[in-house]
Amino acid sequence: MTVIEQPGPLLKRFAARPALLGSLLAVAFAALVGLVLIASIGVSVPDAISAFVDGTVGSPYSIAASINRSLAFALVGFGFILANRANLTNVGGEGQIAVGGIAATAVALYGHVSGLPFGLSFLLPMLAAVVVGAAWGALAAVMKVKAGTNEVISTLLLSFIGVWLLYWCVQSPALLRKPMTTSATLPESLEIPDATKLPLLSGDYSFPLHIGLPLTVVIAVVVAVLLSKTVFGLRLRAVGLNPVAANRAGISYARTVVFALASAGALGGLAGALMLLGEQYTLKDGFSSGYGFDGLVAGLLARGSVTGVIAAALLFGFMRSGGINMEMVAAVPTALVVVIQGLIVITLAGATLFIEKWERP
Amino acid sequence: MSWELFAVFLGSSIRLATPLLLAGIGEMVSERAGVLNMSIEGMMLTSAFAAAVGSWATGDPLLGLLLGILAVQPIALLQAVLSNTLRANQIVSGIGINILVLGATTLAYREIFGARSRAEIPGLVKIRPPLLGDIPVFGTAVFEQVWLFYAGIIIIAITALVLRYTSVGLAVHAAGAEPKAVDKSGLSVTRIRYAAVLFAGFMASLAGAFLSIGDIHTFTEGMTRGAGYLAIASVIFGKWRIGGTVLACLLFGAATALQFQLPAMGISVPNALLIMLPYLLALMAVGGLVGRQMAPATLGEAYRR
Amino acid sequence: MSMSSDLAAPAAEPLLSLRAITKRFGSFAALSDVSLDIRPGEIHCILGENGAGKSTLCNLIFGVHRPDSGVMRYRDAAFQPSGPADSLALGIAMVHQHFSLVYDMTVVDNVLLGRERGVLKRGECAAQLEKLAVEYGLPLDPYARIEDLSVGERQRVEIVKCLIRDPSLFVLDEPTAVLLPDEIAALLEVCRRVASGGRAVVLVTHKLAEIKKIADRVTVLRGGKVVGGSSTPAADINGLVRAMIQGNVETLDTSAASIMGLEPVRHVSHARSANAPRIEVLQVSGLTVKDHQGVTRLDNFTLGVDRGEIVGVAGVEGNGQSELTAVLAGMMPATEGRIHLGEIELTARSPKEITAAGMGIVPEDRHAVGCVAAMSLAENIYLNRLEEFTRFGFLKRGLLESKAGEMMQRFDVRARGPGVIFSSLSGGNQQKAVLAREITLPNLVCLVAAQPTRGLDVGAVAAVYSQIRAACERGVAILLVSSELDELLTVADRIVVLYRGRIMGSCIADPARRAEIGAMMAGQAQ
Repeated sequence: MTVIEQPGPLLKRFAARPALLGSLLAVAFAALVGLVLIASIGVSVPDAISAFVDGTVGSPYSIAASINRSLAFALVGFGFILANRANLTNVGGEGQIAVGGIAATAVALYGHVSGLPFGLSFLLPMLAAVVVGAAWGALAAVMKVKAGTNEVISTLLLSFIGVWLLYWCVQSPALLRKPMTTSATLPESLEIPDATKLPLLSGDYSFPLHIGLPLTVVIAVVVAVLLSKTVFGLRLRAVGLNPVAANRAGISYARTVVFALASAGALGGLAGALMLLGEQYTLKDGFSSGYGFDGLVAGLLARGSVTGVIAAALLFGFMRSGGINMEMVAAVPTALVVVIQGLIVITLAGATLFIEKWERP
Repeated sequence: MSWELFAVFLGSSIRLATPLLLAGIGEMVSERAGVLNMSIEGMMLTSAFAAAVGSWATGDPLLGLLLGILAVQPIALLQAVLSNTLRANQIVSGIGINILVLGATTLAYREIFGARSRAEIPGLVKIRPPLLGDIPVFGTAVFEQVWLFYAGIIIIAITALVLRYTSVGLAVHAAGAEPKAVDKSGLSVTRIRYAAVLFAGFMASLAGAFLSIGDIHTFTEGMTRGAGYLAIASVIFGKWRIGGTVLACLLFGAATALQFQLPAMGISVPNALLIMLPYLLALMAVGGLVGRQMAPATLGEAYRR
Repeated sequence: MSMSSDLAAPAAEPLLSLRAITKRFGSFAALSDVSLDIRPGEIHCILGENGAGKSTLCNLIFGVHRPDSGVMRYRDAAFQPSGPADSLALGIAMVHQHFSLVYDMTVVDNVLLGRERGVLKRGECAAQLEKLAVEYGLPLDPYARIEDLSVGERQRVEIVKCLIRDPSLFVLDEPTAVLLPDEIAALLEVCRRVASGGRAVVLVTHKLAEIKKIADRVTVLRGGKVVGGSSTPAADINGLVRAMIQGNVETLDTSAASIMGLEPVRHVSHARSANAPRIEVLQVSGLTVKDHQGVTRLDNFTLGVDRGEIVGVAGVEGNGQSELTAVLAGMMPATEGRIHLGEIELTARSPKEITAAGMGIVPEDRHAVGCVAAMSLAENIYLNRLEEFTRFGFLKRGLLESKAGEMMQRFDVRARGPGVIFSSLSGGNQQKAVLAREITLPNLVCLVAAQPTRGLDVGAVAAVYSQIRAACERGVAILLVSSELDELLTVADRIVVLYRGRIMGSCIADPARRAEIGAMMAGQAQ
């Protein structure tokens, strides 16, 4: 299904890539439906649009916030397409983000890392998140290898378990909940020490882009190169297309599956770490809510390409910011954004038949 | 633990297992025919919402139930079209439907009920079967259930008979195991699979209606909370057989009931762990603790002549 | 020999008539301008090589596909089936080359599929099956599960599924490929009986022996076109062959010719001097394989293959050959037994280690095991040697494709280029590519080839044999697993017969001992 990429002028690429066109059409269609829905609940469409634009690019702060959000989606999306190259569907982004966040918070708060040099104070919590996320993904992989378990169900169930683990961690003072001084103390962790927060690129809190951005860009390049230019990427593809023949050719099914799902989990965990160490600074129940699925949808939309993930992640990142502002200012419920995303997925899923016919008549 | 408490536990287990049972049997039939419906979750949520709205608007829970059933059919049809005719990825399309339904029901709920209201919705009645209900201690606690549960049992029994002794059962089994054979014998694989998905939708609508107007008599956003996925897990756990699926659902229901049971017994376990328990069990089940699963051969693959 | 136009002249009112039928798949024309008639009461054979379009023709008649142009008439009425249901309703029944049976259902249930509505009357159906068994000589246990039946018995179920509908046109697509010699005779007898009842039988085959035995009329297909035919096939055999392969019998590779039944099977010996020392290369001892349900598929299999020797494993499909090949390839674990390649023990080793030790395997199912159809030709050829094209983890694609181009030349693999998708190659070229991959292993000492010429046209068959013989002459030990006895008789030195997982006996590959070997294949120990 993956067409070997040919370099060429942008326009030529556009016309020659029905998948890209299809994605754009699906987004446009869903957006249209969204506007109709906005009108139908009595909100003025121009007001809604202006609130949306305000929330996305209205100020340096909102731009930075949108981009920060996109980073999380992008990482989950990269993990998705990496695993998907081996025909594995990772649906557990939400849970992987959650356990990544737990690990990052735990190490940041109680790992005595604040005093460490060379950025280890924030790198170690990130590493913890990556490791735990990888383990979360690897669990599903082991089940697949040993028992043939469909990884969709296993990553999904693990996701629920991860989210409830998060709930437990922030509810229980024995775990990560901050000491209850009064009965009204909220169930959340302490704020992480300043040294463990991710350094900002500009040093200015009104434009809070953090080092997660260059990190994500590097990861994007690595994943892209891995998939298209390395022997490893070729082997991943072989396992995805025909695991039996790949096995016969000496490519280890077990190792490939474990690596693929562990990587997806690791990237999800990293996303959680970025969200926590870079933006939120406090572990709260539900902090991962919706991020996992958004990243998943970004991966689905991208149809295997890293640039596709980046585009979709940016789209959703900005959509989320815009949606929040739409709710605050124009009283448009964020559930609308969810509806639009669902429509995008369904439209694209239904269109694959036509896209594939177009790609190969 | 006293007998009364145990009776209450059994009754709760049955109550909490009912939506899983209803949805699970429907999904089992669909999967045996070769179609995987990740959208069971969405279908249940749709019906929960529609039934709640219908019951609240008309004051009659039966009309609410009817609305719930009707509201799901277009969604099931959409899933059927996506899976069979458009040959879309069944997992992706199912998840897409779930996302859409979550957003749509939340949106609609806020529009109709306002953000915080807890309108009292007329619910389905419970019944107390004559003989079983009279058993001392256990009778009422265990066997007094919403009538939908007993209707479900009857449907399950009929489904079992149909699968084993009629041409429909043969067609369903063959459609999932060897659709080529079905095609070459003159039957239509597409029609069989469409019917299977619609049946799964029907059962999911009963399950969803049970959740809102059968059990807690209200609607909350996203109230299915993964029950649809548990139903799918129960089918895997039950190895795509009716007996196994029913047992798996009862087991998950019991695991959920522990949430209330243990605190009542004075055992203090963190609430989160108890909520997690059914998912943990489901994970262990699909993860091979009950042996390797042999799914229907073409599960998840669209058929092409 | 007469051309197709003669065949169209009605001697009796044709049951089924095709005029100018064309069918394309994408840009590939499977059938072009095909016209023929089928008359009631006749056994009409469609003769042609693999890839000539015979199966497509059957699928059109049975309604699986629709023709792009042309007219079909059945019983003198327009015939445009939109699916098998339409053909079945008109009384057309087909036995497919690849059975369409549900493996975990019983015989009765498979027969009832699509026939009845409502509550199943299994008892009645079983009684009907027993009647048919007596009438046509097709004994079957109605309540046996398909997965427990032998291949020959499974075909009986396919046939019975058709006969129970009392068809007026009975189509069989290459039915004898999977049968024992005795079973073949029984099948031909069934065809005779069906035809004698005033019905028509269409038998698709590439075997001339069958044509000689029962064909009333023959139509020859080549490259999707009708290129010949005869109303007196037994007399016109040579002409039919010329039409089928477009060439003279004499130019054919001897082995290929023998398989088609063109010549009496003659063993073709290869250069191996009687004085050459016999070095045993492959040693299989006591190999036993039980499947996941505990059924023994291979029982105490012991065999040795010498350097430069070709050992054939004979036996109808389903008697343990698949398990044997899978274990040798490292794809399936053996329950007991050992495998040695020279000094190296290969029992329970991974496919990578087995390949590294010098064992090449050409699997029987090219598509499932032999290749990744959606990847390119170059990628497939070197899939097990990608390390040679790696620099710091990056793929040296240019080198890969140029090397693959060289392979294409050497092994006559015809394709537009090394970068094309593997599935776009013809069956013959795909098999040549798979063979090329295994034969060019740097330290090849033993080659296991399972059903290597299945589905290939004569040209590809000849190419495969010449490569195998060349490897043999270089000293490679060859284990040739095939259900085509004729193939083994001409190519192999020695033959071992597998039946229900056990070795029934072994002997020199001498065509004179064909009856003896056939008996062993049917389970009679010597």
